[in-house]
Order: sequence, then C-alpha cells, then structure tokens
Amino acid sequence: MSGDHIHAEPTNFFRKHVFSVDHKVIAKQFLWFGLVWLGIGGIMAMLIRWQLANPGDPVPVIGSFLFPRTGGVIDPATYNTLFTMHGTIMIFLGLTPLIIGCVGNWAIPLMIGARDMIFPLLNCLSFWTVFAGGCVGFYSLFVPLGATEAGWTGYPTLSTTVNGLGSGETLWAIAVFLIGASSIMGGINYMTTVIRLRAPGMTWGRLPLTVWGLFLTSALNVLFIPVIGSAMLLLIMDRVFGTTFFVPASIMQGGGGGDPILYQHLFWIFGHPEVYILILPAWGIIGDLLSFFARKPAFGYRAQVGAMTAVTVLSAVVYGHHMFTTGLSAMLGESFMLLTMIISVPAEILFFSWLHTIWRGNIRFTVPMLWSVGVIFVFGLGGLTGIYCATIGTDIFLHDTYFIVGHFHLTMAASALFAAFGAIVFFFPKMFGRMMSPLLGKLHFWLTIIPLVSVFCMMFVMGYAGMPRRYYDHTSMEFLASLQHMNKAATHMAFLLGSAQLIFVFNFIKSRWFGKPASTNPWEVGTLDWQTETPLPHYNFKDIPTVVTGPHEFSHPALPEGRDWISMTEELPSA
Amino acid sequence: MKLHTKMMQRLTSLWTSGITRASLGLAILCGMAPEALAGGKRWGPVPFASDFGYRFEDLFWLITWLCVGSFSIVVIMILIPSVRDRYKPGRKAHFDHGASLKDKRLATVISAATFLVLDAWVLVIAMTDLREAWWNIPESEEAGVYEVEVLAQQWAWNFRHKGADGKFGTADDILQMNELTVPNGRSVSFQGTSKDVIHSLFIPAMRFKKDFNPGDINSVWFKPITAGNYTILCAELCGYAHYQMFGELHVLESDTFDNWAADASELGVAAYDSEDTEARWAWDWKE
Amino acid sequence: MTSAAISLPKEGIKSRVNTTLGMVFFIGSWSMSFGTLFLAFAVLRQRSGVWPPVGIALPSLPMATLATAVLIASSVAFHRALQGIDAKDSNAVRADGLGLPWIIGLVTGVAFALLQGWLWMDLMAAGRNPSSGLYESLFYGLTWVHALHVGIGLLSLLWATIGLAAGRYGSHRFSTINNIVIFWHFVDVVWIVLYLAFFIF
Ligand code: HEA
Ligand code: HEA
Ligand code: CUA
Ligand SMILES: [Cu+2]
Repeated sequence: MSGDHIHAEPTNFFRKHVFSVDHKVIAKQFLWFGLVWLGIGGIMAMLIRWQLANPGDPVPVIGSFLFPRTGGVIDPATYNTLFTMHGTIMIFLGLTPLIIGCVGNWAIPLMIGARDMIFPLLNCLSFWTVFAGGCVGFYSLFVPLGATEAGWTGYPTLSTTVNGLGSGETLWAIAVFLIGASSIMGGINYMTTVIRLRAPGMTWGRLPLTVWGLFLTSALNVLFIPVIGSAMLLLIMDRVFGTTFFVPASIMQGGGGGDPILYQHLFWIFGHPEVYILILPAWGIIGDLLSFFARKPAFGYRAQVGAMTAVTVLSAVVYGHHMFTTGLSAMLGESFMLLTMIISVPAEILFFSWLHTIWRGNIRFTVPMLWSVGVIFVFGLGGLTGIYCATIGTDIFLHDTYFIVGHFHLTMAASALFAAFGAIVFFFPKMFGRMMSPLLGKLHFWLTIIPLVSVFCMMFVMGYAGMPRRYYDHTSMEFLASLQHMNKAATHMAFLLGSAQLIFVFNFIKSRWFGKPASTNPWEVGTLDWQTETPLPHYNFKDIPTVVTGPHEFSHPALPEGRDWISMTEELPSA
Repeated sequence: MKLHTKMMQRLTSLWTSGITRASLGLAILCGMAPEALAGGKRWGPVPFASDFGYRFEDLFWLITWLCVGSFSIVVIMILIPSVRDRYKPGRKAHFDHGASLKDKRLATVISAATFLVLDAWVLVIAMTDLREAWWNIPESEEAGVYEVEVLAQQWAWNFRHKGADGKFGTADDILQMNELTVPNGRSVSFQGTSKDVIHSLFIPAMRFKKDFNPGDINSVWFKPITAGNYTILCAELCGYAHYQMFGELHVLESDTFDNWAADASELGVAAYDSEDTEARWAWDWKE
Repeated sequence: MTSAAISLPKEGIKSRVNTTLGMVFFIGSWSMSFGTLFLAFAVLRQRSGVWPPVGIALPSLPMATLATAVLIASSVAFHRALQGIDAKDSNAVRADGLGLPWIIGLVTGVAFALLQGWLWMDLMAAGRNPSSGLYESLFYGLTWVHALHVGIGLLSLLWATIGLAAGRYGSHRFSTINNIVIFWHFVDVVWIVLYLAFFIF
C-alpha cells in the first residue's frame, strides 16, 4: 500500500517550515538548533578557559557586554553557572539534537526506505518541546538572584539550597525535564519506525549500522530519561514546595529525613546510560562511514551490532562507578568496578572491527572519513582513560579532578562530536543539494583534532597532578599555583580549537547557499537514502524500494570493472 | 571569482604538501613551549606521603603502560592502512565481511585475552589494594590509631581531636579549623559529615579522597610516613567558595606532636564555652 | 467533524499494531518514571525508623480504599466499553449513543479525582502539609505526580467522549481511543501500587 500514512504536502509557510511534520524539515530544524547551542556552549567553554588561564582578569572584548556588573570579570558564582550550563547545554542542547535529533530524523526514514517517521505529529512535538526546554534554559540565565550553580549533575543539598529564593536552579530542572520529554518522544518514534516501517527486504541484518546505533540509543532514551525526569520532579518539589526527598533531617529545622545520596543514585542510573546515548549513534555512524569510504564491507557487522547491544545492556548496571567516593559499600563498589571493566570487551570488539574495516581497503580520505578515523583515535584515548576511572584504586585520587574532565571530553566532546561532524558533512549533499567544501573541511578537521587532543590530554596531566575540577581559580594556593602553566597552555590550545570552529561555520553557511551542486549519489554508496533523487521529493520514495542486498557490499568480486559499489535495491550479479 | 579559485588552488597545493601539515602541527604544539620551558613548574603530583600512596602510583602506571600498549596497536593499525591503502583508481579493496569462522575465533580470542590479561590484571591488583589499604580502616582498638572527627561546612574544614581525656565531645577536645595536625607514622582515622552541602576531603599527597555528606557519617583513613606540610582540598562542588575551601595538614614527628597535643588540649579547655552550642558538635565514634 | 452516513471499514490491523506498539513503548517509559518514584519511596522509607510515623494524622485508609475500588471500577467499565465499540461498526456507535459502560467509566473516573482531592484536603485540615516531614513529602509528592496523570487521563477521555459522540472515533478509528484507555489502565495500576505502598505494607 503506497498510501501508507502519508500527509499531504503543506502549502503554507508555517506548516512547511515551522510546525512541519516532515522528518526532513524536522531534521534540519534540529541541525540548526543544535549548531546554535553548540556555538553558545562553545563560547561558554572559551569563557571558562579564559578564567582558568587568567583568573580574575576581565574578559576582553565581550566581557563588559556579558558581565557589565563586574566590569567584565567573571565572578565565582558566574563561573559556576558557566560550567554548569556549558555541560548541560553541550550534552542536552548541542550534541543530542545533532547526533540524535538531526541524524536520527534524517537517516532513519531514508535509510530504511520509509516515507516519514511513523508518528509525524509526535516528531514535530518532540522538536518544539526541546525548543521550549532550550528557551527555559536560556531564560534561566537572566533571572534575578542568578542561574543554576550546582553543576550539570545538580547534586543536592547544594541544588536544593543554592540561590534558594531564586528560580535559576528550578528553571534548570524544568529545562532538563522538557528536554528529556522531547528525547522520550523521539525515542518512541524512532523505535516504532524502525520496527514497523522498514522497506520490504530491509531485514534486521541489513540495517545500516547508523540505524542500529540510533535504535539502541532510542531504547536507552525511552528507558532511562524517565528516571532523570522523576528525579527532576522531586528536586523541583524540594525547592518549590518544601518537601524533603533529598534533604536530611540534620540540616532541617523539624521535618527532613531525606537522603542526598538517593539523588546521586537516581541521577547516575540515568547519567551513565546517557553517555552511551551519545556514543551509540556515533559508533553506528562511523561503523558505516568507515566501510563506505574504505570501499570495503563493514568488518564483523554482526559482531558490531552485538557489541553495541551488549554495551546498551551493560550501561544499565555500571552507574555506581560515578559514586566510588560517596561511601558506597565495599561490595557494591567492587561489583560496579568489575561490571564497568567488562564494557572494555565490547569496546574492544568494536575497535577490532573498525580497524579491520579500513585494513586493505581502498580508502578515500574524504572529510567524513577523516572524522571517522579521528573518532577511532580520540575514542581510543577517551575510552582507555575510562579504565583509570573504573579502577577504584586510581579513581579515589582521580575522581573530581581534571583527569575526569579530560576523559569525558575525549569521549563526548571529541568522539561523539566528531561523529556528528562526520555525519553532517556526509548527509549535507542530500539535505541541501550542495557539497561542503572539502578543502575547508580538511582544514577544519586538522585544526580541530590537534588542539583538541592537546587540550584534553593536558588535562590528564593536570588531573594526575591533583588539580580538582569546578575550581574558579587555581592560583589562590601554592599547591595548585605551581600547575597554572598547564592551565595556560590548555587555554591557548582551546582558543585555537574554538577559532577553528569558525571555519566550520563559514563552510557550512557558504556551502548551504553557494556550494557546488551535488549529484544524486556523490559518495557512491548503496544505502537507500542515496538512491533517491536530489532534492528529495516530499514523500522520499515514489515507490517504496525493495531491498535485496546488504548495505556494505563494496568491492564485491562480482561487480563489473570500474565499479566498486552496489545499491541495496540491486541484486548482486552472480560471480 | 577567478582570483578566488586561484587562491583556493594555491591553498590546496600548499595544504596537501605534507611539510605544511607537519610544520603546522609542530607550530601548534609549540604553542605550549613557552609554558613548558619556564622553570619552577610542576608536571606531576607531589610525592606521596602516606603508606599506601605507592599503591596508587603503581596501579596508575600499570594502567598507563597497558593503555600505551593497546593504544599503540590502535595507532599503528590506523596508520598502516592510511598510508598503504589510500585510494587508487582501478584498485579494488579486499572483499571481506569478517564473518568467517577464523575471524570470529580471532575476535573471541583477542577479546577474551584483553579481558583476562589486561582487565583482570588491573582488577586483581585493585581488589588487593582496596582490601589491604583503602578499605582496611583500622579499628579503634588497634594500637596507635589516631582518630579525628571532621565537620565540613561552606567553606571550611573543622577537625576535632579527642584531647587529653581520650573522648570526643568533651571540654578538652582540640578543635582546628582549616588546619590539621597529626602524628607521623600512626594510622589516622577520620569520621566525617557535613553541616550543609556535600564536601569531599581530598589530600593529594596522601592519595585519597572521601565525600562527607550531610545526614550521614563516612569513614576514611591514611597513615603518614613523612613529616611535613601538605595541602587539604575540597573536591566536591560546594558553592561559591568551593575553590577556596582548603587547609593545611601538618604531619609532626611523634614527640613534637605529643607536646603540641598537650598544649592544644589545655588551650581547648581554656577556650571552652558551654554556651556555644555551635562548637559542641561531635558524635560517638562509630565502629 | 464531518459525519459519514456510510459505514466505514474497521481500522486495519497494521495501523492498530503501529499505534499500540508506540503506546507500549510509552507505557514502558512511564513505568520507569514511576518506578523511580517508587524506588525513592522504598529507599527513604527503609531509612526512616518508624513507618508510618506515629502520633500524627495520616491519610484516611477507608477513603483511600474506596478511591481504589472506584478507580478499578472505572478501568473495568472502560474496558467493557471498548469491547462494545470494537464490535460495532462506527455509525452504530453514534446511533446507540456512547453506551452505559463508557458513561460509568467517566463518572467513576471523575469520582476518583474528587476522592483524591478529599484525601488531600483532609490531611491538610489535620495540619499536615508537604513540608511537614518525610511521610508527607512522599505522600503529597507521589500522589501529585499521579494526580497529574489522572488529570491528563480524564482530559483525554473527555476528548474521546466528544469524538465518540461526534462519530469521529469508533471501530474505524480505534487506536486513539484504545490508547487513551490503555493510558487510563496504566494510571489505575500506578494507583494500586501507591495504595499498597502507603496503606497496606
Ligand atoms: C560519550 C561519553 C562517554 C563514554 C563513551 C564513556 C566511556 C567510559 N567511561 Fe566515562 N564518563 C563520561 C562519558 C563517557 N564515558 C562522562 C560525561 C563522565 C563524567 C560525568 C561527570 O562527573 O560530570 C564519565 C565518568 C566516568 C567515570 C567516573 C569517574 C569519576 O567521576 O570519578 C568512570 C568510572 O568508571 C567512567 C568509565 C568509563 C568507561 C570504563 C568507559 C568505557 O565505555 C570505555 C570503553 C573503551 C575502551 C576501553 C577503549 C577501547 C578498547 C581497547 C582499545 C581494547 C583494549 C583495552 C582494554 C582491554 C582496557 N567514566
Ligand atoms: C558534549 C559535551 C561537551 C563539549 C562538546 C564540550 C566542549 C568543550 N569543553 Fe566542556 N564540559 C562538558 C561537556 C562538553 N564540553 C561537561 C558535561 C562538563 C562538566 C560540567 C560540570 O562540571 O558540571 C564540561 C566542563 C568543562 C570544563 C571544566 C570546568 C570546571 O570543571 O571548572 C572545561 C575546562 O576547560 C571545559 C572545556 C571545554 C572546551 C575547551 C571545549 C571545546 O571542545 C569547545 C570547542 C567549541 C566548540 C566545539 C563549539 C563549536 C561550535 C560550532 C560548530 C558553532 C556552530 C554555530 C553555528 C552554525 C551558529 N568543559
Ligand atoms: Cu567544600 Cu567544595
Ligand atoms: Cu559512567
């Protein structure tokens, strides 16, 4: 039935570009939304770095505009707000919209051969909910008595008492709640779509890895975002209605009896799956891209899917490794350590597969390929440093130092972000009908990866030397002042990193309107999204394609001379 | 337009020459050079001064070498194909799904080996360390255990010693703020909680940290092996002056310490104010 | 909306499965969210020595039991009503009116909401408010979140009622009302757990 849940092409501007239910438009909305927030979070990162290198100096140029009250100086409260909102924004409003919202909306229907998401209206609602969450979060920066200052983890009792009369922290919690609600809607939509709307012949074993990653991420979203949702509700009640879920009796006059550690459990039951929510699509994306550009089948496709699934399952049972110093019992601590270490096995299988995918390939180092290979490199660094964190003996020292900051930036801010960049460049020609400049793309890649690795590897040294994170100023005591030179060096690199992003912004905007027109299948790959015309018709596929071949049959021996790829809708010639 | 294309071409050729890329990378790394060359800087942690400090160092470097090893393999396996298998028109990539029995066996063996060798190695040592050191909190009855109660608050550390009578919560208790004096060579055992928000007692030179949560008492211990002064930090975000919540640990040789303690206890009695309920926090030592 | 005089075909199995599957994921997700609240309940309750606290006014057990019975009745009634609707073709639903089970379901649903309100008022009148202590935190906090879902459920049911009366829903568009009723069952189950947690164990 070709009329499967089709909505008519909208004619008025609002239905077409604003409250659109078309997954392609929503993907672009998520893209712009995510990029703008990435920019805001990036500017915050630059302010953080400025303060760390030059504590108490007024921020040049933009300082007096941003912090007029202090003449451009970042005060400690503002600094706390900055890193809290930087973390929250980057994770929930930067990366999530890009790698799940944009890539998911774009890739899922097109790659599985569907005309749209299964619940288009829910999809639209999902975007506008995250948009509302973004607005609340942004607004919270300007309320009287200040914005949130309790870290992106928002631990009580700091988060229940910090600017107790103000609404900053409460609005932060509301924003997280709304953003979470959006992710759940997206998750339900993606899962149902993948299960129900695959084109004929698109078996689970033929799903592109990107779709697999997004599918597993959606499962985690659906299961674990509700946990943070509830935790936020309890936090809001504590702040607004005087309940005492997280406030112990010892610090309340009468009443009380709550437990601040309970919040940490709830937060990390969500928080740990959240980090895999960000990395799973990245793994999927690079699993595909490495194969596409090495012109070789994805090595160990089933093993990769199995490894990703194993991580998805394991992610639910390792969360305690964030709480090794909170007084967790010895038995729990050791179990969490063991379970966490087990994750290195599926991770190892993924590395094994990726490295064998490019081995003896015919590698085209296009920009998406550079980002993908970059992910192997930076995720190697980020993942391996996870082992130090997982080992209690070392984490007792390294916890809450810059070592942890280095670890999670290399996994999230490098690996997941690189995969997002790769995916954007990869899907760009189909999205906008134009190519992004490869020259600028390569420049952007090199000028990102080199300073990025230096900044965050520098943080390992700082952390090992004992520098705690979330410190406004490391020069006020001798012990840390002797490490300040590393802060300075990291800041120089970070500024270079930040400026390099302008290349991307320029490339993106220029190519969007003036780029070289793209052909239908510029990367010469076989997945369904590239077999459609450019620009895409409203319903993606005139006729739903029938899939007969896997997604990665590159360089098949039976292929004719001069051609190393085959569409998923074409039968492989018999050899 | 023409000029633009020309410049682009120039740039491309410049960029594609490996030398440019290498020197660019070098230049960026040199961005750090001025800082690196300046003297009087520290690049690592202060030497450990607790008896289990070596355990942290050993474990840290064990993991480091294992990681350097694994990561080198990863980098080599990126570099070889990146150079050798670059795109050449007309050449076909090796067609292989990696689904053969041989590949499956290889993957299984490698992952089993990484787990059984690398992870298990680290795990076994870590478990031993935990049981013998960090979690092996000395009991009060053990000879020579020195006990300290800690009350963290925004933004200060309050330490309480038993004083001359050997009991907490009495007039002769020694109270210290942002300063802690302990005897060298004896196990120092802490019990701590917080008045307001979560704080974390972090003594880098002793290689441990522990959160002190409101409404709950946590224990931690260490045994100093070198007399001297060390920094105490707060490692859990606790608000505005989190970064200034630091103190100093004085480890004194035992005879100096005994003199200090006797004097301090007397001073404590003198300064004792039965009206000051704020200062009378203390609890019965928990076993 | 336009009311078709002709008999529309029943909603196809494919569409029913699609929407129900989405609903199943939604319920799974929401179970996690209430599961979190119950986890918090279990942990906090286990931490406090005496439970329930003695010497203070507690919510009324008979009234809560009545509320539970009323809510279960409501769920059962809606279940019946759906069976009836699915058996008919759509015009018949309109012609026959909404049917008794549906009306009973609605009335009992609203009755539950009123009883819940009464429980709060009663407790407030006894001077126990959300900031009085841990028990109150838990009782008000958890029932508030539940009540929010009761509210949303009732509004959706109202929407479904209007739609049914107008012939918009029926066996030709079954998934929507089916999902609303599934949601209502879920609200019911959560209440039963709340009831057991606060009043029985
Ligand atoms: C995308 C995000 C992401 C990813 C993928 C990971 C991956 C991992 N993380 Fe990380 N982590 C974070 C994001 C992420 N983390 C964040 C945000 C925080 C801090 C939050 C905060 O406090 O603010 C954090 C904090 C954190 C902690 C708490 C530290 C602390 O606060 O004290 C721990 C502890 O165990 C940990 C462990 C791990 C492990 C073991 C992995 C593993 O999945 C890594 C697996 C990968 C490898 C192991 C490398 C590849 C394997 C090989 C090359 C084979 C050979 C290797 C071996 C056999 C060892 N992480
Ligand atoms: C995905 C998540 C993510 C990302 C991408 C980043 C990116 C960066 N982060 Fe951040 N960071 C976190 C997540 C992230 N961070 C979290 C969770 C915390 C913990 C917070 C807490 O403790 O509570 C943290 C904390 C944190 C700290 C510690 C603060 C402290 O503890 O005191 C520091 C310090 O250097 C830092 C630095 C940086 C830098 C230099 C970057 C650079 O990589 C930034 C480079 C800039 C960009 C990547 C911007 C790119 C912009 C565009 C491409 C714009 C496009 C725009 C348009 C088209 C309009 N971060
Ligand atoms: Cu106390 Cu940070
Ligand atoms: Cu984790």
